[in-house]
Amino acid sequence: MAVETTMSNTRHEVRTPAAKRRVKAAKGRRLWPFLLPSAIVSFFILIYPLCYALYLSLFSYYLDSGVSNFVGLGNYTDLLGDGRFWSSLQRTLLIVVAAVSLEFCVGLAIAYGLYRLTFGVRTLNLLMFLPHIITPVVAALFLKWIFAGRWGLLDLILGSMGIFSPDWLGDPMWARISVVLADAWQFTPFMILVLYAGLNTVDQSQIEAAQIDGAAGWQILFRIMLPSIRPLIVFVLTMRMMDAFRYFDTIYVLTSGGPGSATETLTMQTYALAFRLFEVGKASALGVLTLVIVLLLAAILIGVVGRSKEKSQ
Amino acid sequence: MASVQISGIEKYFGDTHVIRGIDINIADGEFCVLVGPSGCGKSTLLRMIAGLEEIDEGQISIGARVVNSVPPKQRDIAMVFQNYALYPHMSVRENMSFSLQLAKKSKPEIEQRVHKAADILGLVPYLDRYPRQLSGGQRQRVAMGRAIVRNPQVFLFDEPLSNLDAKLRVQMRTEIRELHQRLKTTSVYVTHDQTEAMTMADKIVLMQDGVVEQAGAPLDLYDRPANTFVARFIGSPAMNLIPGVARSTGDGHVEFEGGVTLPLPAGARAAEGQSVLYGMRPEHCVVGASGLPVEVVVVEPTGADTQLYCRFKGQEMTATVRDRTDCRSGDRIALAPDLNRAHLFDAASGVRLVA
Repeated sequence: MAVETTMSNTRHEVRTPAAKRRVKAAKGRRLWPFLLPSAIVSFFILIYPLCYALYLSLFSYYLDSGVSNFVGLGNYTDLLGDGRFWSSLQRTLLIVVAAVSLEFCVGLAIAYGLYRLTFGVRTLNLLMFLPHIITPVVAALFLKWIFAGRWGLLDLILGSMGIFSPDWLGDPMWARISVVLADAWQFTPFMILVLYAGLNTVDQSQIEAAQIDGAAGWQILFRIMLPSIRPLIVFVLTMRMMDAFRYFDTIYVLTSGGPGSATETLTMQTYALAFRLFEVGKASALGVLTLVIVLLLAAILIGVVGRSKEKSQ
Repeated sequence: MASVQISGIEKYFGDTHVIRGIDINIADGEFCVLVGPSGCGKSTLLRMIAGLEEIDEGQISIGARVVNSVPPKQRDIAMVFQNYALYPHMSVRENMSFSLQLAKKSKPEIEQRVHKAADILGLVPYLDRYPRQLSGGQRQRVAMGRAIVRNPQVFLFDEPLSNLDAKLRVQMRTEIRELHQRLKTTSVYVTHDQTEAMTMADKIVLMQDGVVEQAGAPLDLYDRPANTFVARFIGSPAMNLIPGVARSTGDGHVEFEGGVTLPLPAGARAAEGQSVLYGMRPEHCVVGASGLPVEVVVVEPTGADTQLYCRFKGQEMTATVRDRTDCRSGDRIALAPDLNRAHLFDAASGVRLVA
């Protein structure tokens, strides 16, 4: 009898998968109240505006007229059939790829330099981070004085060396280069910070093992250290890529999308559609299209650069 | 293969003097174990041999070549790290072939050498796996494979077994020893575990606070410890060291607290009235009618033998009894030393006293 009681108790303690699921669900329900405040905030600042933008994108809605007609996907087909959209997209991609690549390469070089430095790292790090903590519009105003024709800082420096400087913001090609340089000036410190932190997480004994294996400094960086921080690289490139797609304030101050439409990016075009032409419906559709493009590119980036992530520990 | 000569090595970390004039000669093909407590400088010394730490003073030679200013990759050494230091993004094959690729060896040669090393270590089925897919013991083998594939002049091991569980550690200990007997490559092995040192070494170098306390064959250190530090460090359980005063009456004896006396150990000599420490290894204590009167505190049977933890005038003592014993906690027994295997040390300096 005693044996039977013990056995039945033991049986009672063994939980079936269904029972386990019920316990897990009950635990989940208890945790919901903790998520609720942030879920409410997220809804009002993230989900609602996004849904509203999606909703607006289905209407032909002019801000000044107040007239709103349902056009379905009309705004989207208009945009996709408009050459201006494609050239904006092309320019945006060019600026994003150039700026993020430049930031990554320069950032990596400086981060590795800082990693190898034995003293003064903190001071240098702080100084280099300064451009990143300046408000973008203020930074853009600084840059405008630097790039300004004839009396700008860059012109004066080049002029003192006898070099005839180009029209930084007036020439289409140089305007694009200036916009890329401006973004790089402001965001390379972020790259440096993240990559420097990443390089410092690489196991020192792996580096020493590579030294003994016969690897030179650059081989250690490219064959041991960078693969070790691949997830971090994917993160920082994705973040910067998404951020660069939203690049607006500096372009607005520096060139306002000009000369002509040489630096008109998707966000500049969205701004022009919404606040110059008051075509809110079409601007919303362009916003949604930009979101889709950024999501696609982020997925590709994570897929390509982060491909070997699983192989890492 | 090559010998390693270390002479007059000094090392400072800031104001801390971590290595204080060390001289060691490691013969060609010898398996030398650097052992000592944490912070004694053994790993720093190994890293100096590897070229990963600069040498402040003195000279290290591998073979006939002074390597003080030679970078690690040109020293023709291979090192096995405590945490294995495998490259996580490379497969076992890639980990093992990395150094050969860097040395621009031909593909067939790389494949042949990797396969040979993998075969020796039983790693052939795992060549395409990644480090995270391997157990601790397998990772350890890959780390060794990465070392042997290069066929270096010297192997350096930095506490390679300390991340493994006790059973695997014993198994790997034997495997490393077997590997050394097979390859006969000069090896320098760092550990803090005296059992590892005793079982693996041709030569033990016992260090403390940046100096060599004693260097020699394992049984030399066990049978003839140079001082009380060596006597306490080598052997488990540690040697009993009982304070007493030397008396020169008769053939000479040592008087302990309470007037108990024991004859001087064979081959030992001390001045009349000299404060000494009488050394008895637990396994060389004999339970009998005469000797030091002790009270048994704890009896620990391990199966093969029994440890008796005893107390003599407030001093802890341990005795290992091979035969089954009916001693119980609280019993009063007498422990006598095997005089041919007992030791005498000067109480002030800790130095061994010999005739």
